[in-house]
Amino acid sequence: MKTILALCVRNLKAFIRDRTRLFFSILFPFFFVYVFSSIFRNEAISDPVPYMLVGIIIATVFETALRISASTIDDMTTGFMKEVLVSPVARVSVAAGQFLSSAIIAAVEGFIILVVGFFIGFKVTSVLTLGLVMLLMIFVGLVFAGFGLFIATNTKNIQTFQIVSMAITMPMTFISGAYIPFSLLPRSLVFVGYINPVTYAVALFRTVALEKTGLQTDELLAEQLALQIGEVVVTPWLAMLILFLFGLLFMVLSTLTFVRTDFSRINRNKDNSIEW
Amino acid sequence: MPPIIEVRNFTKKYGSFAAVNDISFTVEEGSIFAFLGPNGAGKSTTINTLCTIFEKTTGTLLIDGKDVSLQKNEVRKAIGVVFQESTLDTKMSVEENLRMHCVFYNVPKGEVEERIRFVLRLVDLSDWRKKSVASLSGGMKRRVEIARGLMHYPKVLFLDEPTTGLDPQTRAHIWEYIVQLQKEKGITIFLTTHYMDEAEICSRVAVIDGGVIVADDSPYALKKQHTMDRAYITTQNPEALESLLAAHKLPYQKKAAYYRVDADDTALLLQVLSAQKDSVTDLEIRKGTLNDVFLEITGKEIRG
Ligand SMILES: Nc1ncnc2c1ncn2[C@@H]1O[C@H](COP(=O)(O)OP(=O)(O)OP(=O)(O)O)[C@@H](O)[C@H]1O
Ligand SMILES: [Mg+2]
Repeated sequence: MKTILALCVRNLKAFIRDRTRLFFSILFPFFFVYVFSSIFRNEAISDPVPYMLVGIIIATVFETALRISASTIDDMTTGFMKEVLVSPVARVSVAAGQFLSSAIIAAVEGFIILVVGFFIGFKVTSVLTLGLVMLLMIFVGLVFAGFGLFIATNTKNIQTFQIVSMAITMPMTFISGAYIPFSLLPRSLVFVGYINPVTYAVALFRTVALEKTGLQTDELLAEQLALQIGEVVVTPWLAMLILFLFGLLFMVLSTLTFVRTDFSRINRNKDNSIEW
Repeated sequence: MPPIIEVRNFTKKYGSFAAVNDISFTVEEGSIFAFLGPNGAGKSTTINTLCTIFEKTTGTLLIDGKDVSLQKNEVRKAIGVVFQESTLDTKMSVEENLRMHCVFYNVPKGEVEERIRFVLRLVDLSDWRKKSVASLSGGMKRRVEIARGLMHYPKVLFLDEPTTGLDPQTRAHIWEYIVQLQKEKGITIFLTTHYMDEAEICSRVAVIDGGVIVADDSPYALKKQHTMDRAYITTQNPEALESLLAAHKLPYQKKAAYYRVDADDTALLLQVLSAQKDSVTDLEIRKGTLNDVFLEITGKEIRG
């Protein structure tokens, strides 16, 4: 526990000390809100601004969690990961420290958009909703940080990670219902959306943030907050379970990657390594 | 007492290239053991495998009776390492690096502050405590790296070329402390070095070349076996000296200003020469060095 916390704090410090990255991370959400709130005024949804905003928040949480995981690759190339992994700390703590810090950064990013959202027409009626929204952002952050860490530990260099994560992030955000409602997508893409975990994060988060948790299943379906896949109806609560399992899977997988790391197979980046 | 490190028939291949080829050796608990060998001999490969972060190809490697491939966690608890290349957290300050190490190795909270002060004084970086590691010079980073490795007391301390790139004062300081650790805490030290004066201090030295161990003994025994003492003699009476050496079957070489005699037994040589102590005007005896041993065995000059 002590190790998880220490590693998490260390990652947060490292994030804050990188001024350029910090600046753009804060700027980025404003830009997104501005662009999307002016573009997406469509007829499919009754009140588009809160609906869209909530989608943007959760998509940003997803993207940030994934992007921040790349710092593990930094630690690999500077050699620090060698110091970590030669020590007796549990590999799962190493992974967990990384998840936690990524999730916190992602949730803070989401929170900034939320605050901006209050000025452009988003509102909640209870403090409870706000608390749940925060918790859900951390939850979704954790889930996708696990996914990101798995990609990071298996790509092993920053350039590859960026290409891979770009190739994964793009479809995962755009075919999730976050920016574009499923009713506006062609059938084939909707099918892709069903196997996309971000879809479930979006549905769950929207239901909670827009305070629709009291709705019946048919109403949820009508508002596109539940998904009808063949015979099965995926309610927001089932979505939560799916996300949890998805997150757990990648948590286990990335821990296993740490367990199996054999440094003799890792070619360190020439520019970053210092040999005496 | 069983050896603290036991390596049997260890082979490590990178692809089809065997960097370490079927080596076996043991290290006594509480001793200082040095690996000597030219660049690319396989020293770091062996250390990294013993430290659990390289996978062996074949063989058995035990530390304190635990298998480094099967009981990784137990082995990790028993060791401390300073790697050849930097493993510092360059995003953090010197102090943060040391503190993180204490978390990893469970150094008791009450001792942390005192240990930090001590190791920083040892490597003469007390004034740099709050500075970011990224802002230090190469040698200073190396000093932080060593300081961090000395934060906790392991059973076995691995040092892969610890003092390369350090100034002589720092080097002397660190060595003094390493020997103290061995003497007072009974810590086993396993190191690689290219400095012969460092190897000289060790209890045992293994020379490795091209992935095989070509010699493994105490520095004294190695010198005795692989080198001879060399005497440089100047005399006023060359004919008498030559006949004397010849009479005792001591091979000599005649140089412009002196005679050179290689002798196994210096005491005997001195006894022989005493017969001519009136005519010998100058006598210099050079003991064989580990450097000679090294050159003799590996046939290559090394840096350092
Ligand atoms: N990760 C790796 N992948 C492929 N080959 C490697 C790797 N690491 C080392 N080697 C090769 O294995 C051999 C032994 O390397 P090693 O690092 O053990 O040498 P060393 O004795 O520590 O040398 P030095 O004195 O230069 O530190 C070298 O020929 C090297 O090229
Ligand atoms: Mg080496």
